[in-house]
Amino acid sequence: MDPTNLVPSPDSIPAAAWIFEALDVLLFALHILVVDIVVGGVLLTIYFHLTQRKKSALQPPDSDRLPTATAIAVNLGVAPLLFLQVLYGHFFYTSSVLMATFWLLVIPLLILGYYGLYVHRRKLSGAPVLAKTFLVLSALALLYIGFMFVNNITLMYQPAKWAAYFDNRAGTILNLGDPTLVPRYLHFVVAAVAVAGLFRAAVARFRENRKGTDETATKRAGLRIFAFGSMAQALVGFVFLATLPGDFILQFLGGDLFSTTVLLLGVGLAFAAIAAALRNNLDATLYLLGGVILAMVVNRANLRMMYLEPYFTHDALEVDPQYGVFAVFLAVLVVGVGSVVYMLRMVVSKKEASL
Amino acid sequence: MNYPIWETLTIGGGTLVAIIAIFHVYIAHLAVGGGALLWLADLKAEREGDERMRAYVKKYVWFFLLLTMVAGGMSGVGIWFVIALVNPAATSHLIHNFVFGWAIEWVFFVGEIVALLIYYYKFDDLDVKQRHTVAFLYFLFAWLSLFVINGILAYMLTPGAWLETGSFWDGFLNPSFFPSLFFRTGMAITIAGLFGFATALALKDEETQTRLTRYSAKWLLYPLLPTALSAVWYYYSLPPEVRFVAFDLNAQSHPFVAKFLGMSVVLFAVGAALVTRMPRAARLILVSFLIVVGLGWIGAFEYVREIARKPYVLREVMYSNSFTDELGELADKEGALATAKWTKIKQVTEENRLEAGKELFLLQCGACHTVGGIRNDIVGRAERLTYLGLLAAIEGQGKALTYMPKFYGTRAEKEALAEYIAVELLGREPFTHVKTAPPTYPDPAEPLPFDAARDEYVLLVWNDLGMHCISDSDPRFVILPPANTLEAQLIKRGAKPEIVDEGVTLVYRVEEGFENPSAHVEFWDYAEKIFGAKLEKNVGLAGLGMQGEFHRNPATQSFVAELIPVVPYPDGGGVNPYPYFYVEAIDDETGEVLQRTRAVAPTSTEMGCLNCHQGDWRVEGAAGVSNKTADNILAVHDRINGTTLLEDALAGEPKLCQSCHADPALGAEGDPDVLNFSAALHGWHANYMPYDDYRACQMCHPSHPNGSTSCNRGVHSQAGVHCDDCHGTMEEHGYSLLKAEAHKEPARRLMKNLDVRESVGKAGVIPRTPWLVEPDCLGCHTRFQASEAAFTGFNKWQYRQNLYRFRTDGAGVRCIACHNSTHAVYPAFNALEENRDNSQPMQYQGNQLPIGAERNCAVCHKTTPSVELHHPNILRPFRNRVLIEP
Repeated sequence: MDPTNLVPSPDSIPAAAWIFEALDVLLFALHILVVDIVVGGVLLTIYFHLTQRKKSALQPPDSDRLPTATAIAVNLGVAPLLFLQVLYGHFFYTSSVLMATFWLLVIPLLILGYYGLYVHRRKLSGAPVLAKTFLVLSALALLYIGFMFVNNITLMYQPAKWAAYFDNRAGTILNLGDPTLVPRYLHFVVAAVAVAGLFRAAVARFRENRKGTDETATKRAGLRIFAFGSMAQALVGFVFLATLPGDFILQFLGGDLFSTTVLLLGVGLAFAAIAAALRNNLDATLYLLGGVILAMVVNRANLRMMYLEPYFTHDALEVDPQYGVFAVFLAVLVVGVGSVVYMLRMVVSKKEASL
Repeated sequence: MNYPIWETLTIGGGTLVAIIAIFHVYIAHLAVGGGALLWLADLKAEREGDERMRAYVKKYVWFFLLLTMVAGGMSGVGIWFVIALVNPAATSHLIHNFVFGWAIEWVFFVGEIVALLIYYYKFDDLDVKQRHTVAFLYFLFAWLSLFVINGILAYMLTPGAWLETGSFWDGFLNPSFFPSLFFRTGMAITIAGLFGFATALALKDEETQTRLTRYSAKWLLYPLLPTALSAVWYYYSLPPEVRFVAFDLNAQSHPFVAKFLGMSVVLFAVGAALVTRMPRAARLILVSFLIVVGLGWIGAFEYVREIARKPYVLREVMYSNSFTDELGELADKEGALATAKWTKIKQVTEENRLEAGKELFLLQCGACHTVGGIRNDIVGRAERLTYLGLLAAIEGQGKALTYMPKFYGTRAEKEALAEYIAVELLGREPFTHVKTAPPTYPDPAEPLPFDAARDEYVLLVWNDLGMHCISDSDPRFVILPPANTLEAQLIKRGAKPEIVDEGVTLVYRVEEGFENPSAHVEFWDYAEKIFGAKLEKNVGLAGLGMQGEFHRNPATQSFVAELIPVVPYPDGGGVNPYPYFYVEAIDDETGEVLQRTRAVAPTSTEMGCLNCHQGDWRVEGAAGVSNKTADNILAVHDRINGTTLLEDALAGEPKLCQSCHADPALGAEGDPDVLNFSAALHGWHANYMPYDDYRACQMCHPSHPNGSTSCNRGVHSQAGVHCDDCHGTMEEHGYSLLKAEAHKEPARRLMKNLDVRESVGKAGVIPRTPWLVEPDCLGCHTRFQASEAAFTGFNKWQYRQNLYRFRTDGAGVRCIACHNSTHAVYPAFNALEENRDNSQPMQYQGNQLPIGAERNCAVCHKTTPSVELHHPNILRPFRNRVLIEP
């Protein structure tokens, strides 16, 4: 069966494709940053409880922030998933149906994971065993969700694998045979730990600035987690690259100028970030991380187009413009972000006033 | 068909969506209404300096955050996930057409959660004014979220001008946008009150608890009137067709509407009761109860909305099974399997029929029907149908009952699907056509004697219709009672023959064995209930029994014996739809028998209802409507029309169909708003008929060649002229009958999907009143000549007294007297016994031809006439001699 015939015909899109691609990349970068803070934060908190060191540099754990970060992570995930569906919905819905049962379980597990973080936070002093149990359950739920996203996204790229549907319509097809699956997944999980480490350092500095406490140890610990995590991440990234189909590797290594440039930029920034972290330069590390994430998200988009190239390019999408509505969206976005900033300033100024 | 289908046959995708969606909307409406409650309660607390109220607000907000942000927010994403799995095509449509709408909604969602998080976490840190601003912003963003999603949801039900323009704003600000927005806002406030009760309960202090319960009750009760008004507005914002289909035609909506209204009453009554003083435990029970009722309340509403959208998921854009009209047309032409991307089988073959049927089921039915599952179980629905019934249901779905989409695909695909359901899901034997045991073959009777030299009279007797069907389902319903009418003319032979209709009496008696119809049917047990007539056993509705006298009908110089209650069941057993009647003409003065002859009184109970409606033949595997079949029919009628016929029949009160459905055949006036009987029966079933030629007629009428009757037995049947050649196809026939009733709404609905041949066109169809406007011989036999090759009787109607069965020739002789009844025109070929209908030609002429055919004027004329007195073109050889020669 020719997999091309299985690819659904797409609907027309209401603005130029690059707009959605750009929105997708930007918002996914923000989303994955907060996801890293949540997932990495949960894993570090588990590690903290496992080691049980009172004087740990992991003190205080992230417990307080995790539920809120989860809310923001999910919220920031909605937009890129929306824009992804505008451009690649016909691939994404198909792969989602193939793994429907596992995919839908993401929702109850997300609710469980989210509530688990609240239980963990509220019961930590009163019922520590319950709290820790829920923390582990939340971690498992979050790791499951990430794994399913990686399955779905990689399956969506590969219509050649879709024919498995004809032997299994129960929605239980996963992309387990794909050699890139595990490296790709680990690439996200390891990144999460590194980023969460760096986030701890940033929060520690925030606390330091506000309360005047000495947070040097926490900041250092966070930066070290980031540095060593990123080193591991480089290794995983290398394995991930190596498991990609041969011609994709060639494109990333000189074959395609843009892809190669972005990859080199991402890797270069990552090494620079590691170096900055090892020198305890928090600001530089944070800025560099921003660059790394953005570059890596663009990398990811480049890889997507390599996968889809035999089946689809953006030119195939008919544009049926709704720029008026787009303008309304931008206006609402400005007002919405303005309101958020207004509210946040209210909180921050309150703090400053009370200092 | 673009996407693969997730096989969730037992749960069903619809149920998954419903579970997640109802859970979500309950909380999402709370998020909006609760936002307003928090903000206003917080203001009130500050204004009144009420510390307890402030504490209450703080308590509420924690609970609120946990519920709305976690369960509410995540389940909102869940709806998106699940609809994309269950109906990816529709999801894609909504995403692509409204992506900026969703994006705007997302911005509001950001504002909503940021505001709520700040409100909760910084409740004590912010100054009062700031806190109130944040609370207000939370409510505003939450309501704006509702505003946006409401537009897209309402679009799904009432796309309005979007259908023409495709414009975002036309779709978004669609006809039900504002009523739905008001209605949902009202519900949101009510639900806020409901949850207000729950949080008030958590307060320890009894006085505050009572006060806040009363405060919450206001939230519950105040929106009552505006919400009710906006519900009415909402209802009337739907196009009339949608209202009719959803709330009248589709009985599925009735329980949900009832639940919604009932629960509204409970909600407001119990809510009002809560303001009274009562023990905490009682309050706890009532509030818990109300929270559950609230879920049912909003769930019922959402179900009603979903049902109102049927058969579409996106009204007038996409059906629930993701088909569009465009895809459907393609599937009709090229096959549903061939045009779907995600089917393993592309074409139905003998070998893959069942597998292909399953593919088709998934493709077209699985979106709404489960297999043995929770919702719309196909097994339960299909159980009452036979294979042919299923085939008919597939053929007709979406035509008369427009809350289902049509089935799109080829004939072979329809058959494969019906077979899959019958064999695989219902465990029936693979399909064979309804078997009919052979009828009882009577011994051929010798022709009665006629002495051409000495006999002075010719007696011609006939049945008025050629076939009289009887529904012997008296305990359940009656379509047609046993009531056979015979007519006769007596001709005195001579140089100038005379029609004699005075001074003679015609007497009749039925063939031996048929004298006691009451032993075989239950007509007499129910006659009083059904016809209001107290009848002696074996006496018919006009007072005539199995033997008796004709009465004179001077207007037509004929004799008539009306409504003789003969049935096709002889005492000796078996089935014989052609019992003889022996008739004698007796001179009133001398008592001399002037002539005797016999004619059949065709009477059949072989009504093919069971082909689709289940059950077996009632009598000897050959004829009769069994109770099982009758019950099935009544149940369907009740379900679709909201009648209680089955219940009434089982309580011993069967009805005559014509008590509501007017029918000239019975002289029944019926209910003026209801379709006449023929129009209803043919018009309805024409929408379902899986055949478009004479086989359609054979499904119900006793004309199937394997049946016990084979009623179409006249010369035309042998000449290859079928039912549809005179009456038109089933669809045309139904259409012509419905057109005469087109002032009634159901007729227009039934006509919509019926096809009429292009040469006539729907506009060209001449309306017909059943029994009084019929096809006629001269429609094809123009000026009594042979018909042309491309003959058709359709749409060339004859009216009332000019109909063949009433007409006389120039000499006063009835056409039917010499040619015999319709459907049995001489030479007739009766399947029971070839010459059974030809008694009189055999008696008077020694052949099977029409009386006087082949210049055999001597039957009546003692001198050969030279003019074509009876009709033009009479003096010639019989045209179809080849049919009667061995």
